[in-house]
Amino acid sequence: MISLATAAPTIGAAFVASSVEAVEAFTIVLAVSVVRGVRPAALGAVAALVLLALVVAVLGPLIAAIPVHGLQLVVGVLLLAFGLGWLRKAVLRAGGALALHDEAAAFEEETRALRGEAQAHASAADWLAGMAAFKAVLLEGTEVVFIVLAIGARPGLLGPAAIGAAAACALIFATGLFLRAPLARIPENSMKFVVGALLAGFGVFWCCEGMGAPWPGGDLAIAPLIAFYLVAGLLMAWAVRAMRTRTRTA
Amino acid sequence: MSVLRALASTIGKMFAADLWLTIGVVAIVALAAAALRANLAPPGSLPFLIAAAIAAALAVGVVRGARPKA
Repeated sequence: MISLATAAPTIGAAFVASSVEAVEAFTIVLAVSVVRGVRPAALGAVAALVLLALVVAVLGPLIAAIPVHGLQLVVGVLLLAFGLGWLRKAVLRAGGALALHDEAAAFEEETRALRGEAQAHASAADWLAGMAAFKAVLLEGTEVVFIVLAIGARPGLLGPAAIGAAAACALIFATGLFLRAPLARIPENSMKFVVGALLAGFGVFWCCEGMGAPWPGGDLAIAPLIAFYLVAGLLMAWAVRAMRTRTRTA
Repeated sequence: MSVLRALASTIGKMFAADLWLTIGVVAIVALAAAALRANLAPPGSLPFLIAAAIAAALAVGVVRGARPKA
């Protein structure tokens, strides 16, 4: 039986990381429901969720059969590749080098594209709309599945990771359905910043565990590692902003 | 087919959105594992070296991304 103290960081990490993906998936599902109604949107989203749940149900036990050190090393490298990509993008956005992701604009664009497709293929409009919702949930959900499997890649932690992700998806979709609007007020870049640091922290920790050079303090080292990458990212964002200001004034 | 193509593209982008950053991560971990095997680095200091090297790789990725495109 896993204690709450062990499970809580995993649940929290999966919750925050999955929230970002859920917001992006919800925007497209909402666009589908606005253009073609709730039915194709719900059918597409539920079909993708069932497929993703099957992937977790199949891969989870398979992963548990892999020797733990090798698994931690591979998952650590994958988490680093994935997490640093997010952190780099979030730093560049915070520094002004990349445009911020605009959920309201994404919603408008998706709605326009769906209306265009519905006019061009009137007889298959519902099918196309359902496929759009299916694709959005499947693609964003693939990242959620990876996060769940990676963060939960330790005996007994897959369940807590899945609970964190499921809670995030349920909360985002429930909030969005209640508001009937894209969740544009959620500070997505700040969340991506935190998630990038979080995944980088977990990634470094597991690479070290996997190669047999464990951190002093064991699991307690994860929080300072996450804080280290968060502070490093903030300093880099500040440096990028300063660099851009200097370039503009020169 | 378009769903499968999009899925493959998503998985590719997940781990290699910035290919050089991914190559850097793999190289750092491989070098660290080799150093540990060859007893070139004490196991106690290796985690700190890896954490610092990963932060350096991120900094290089950020600098590359922040440079104005020619």
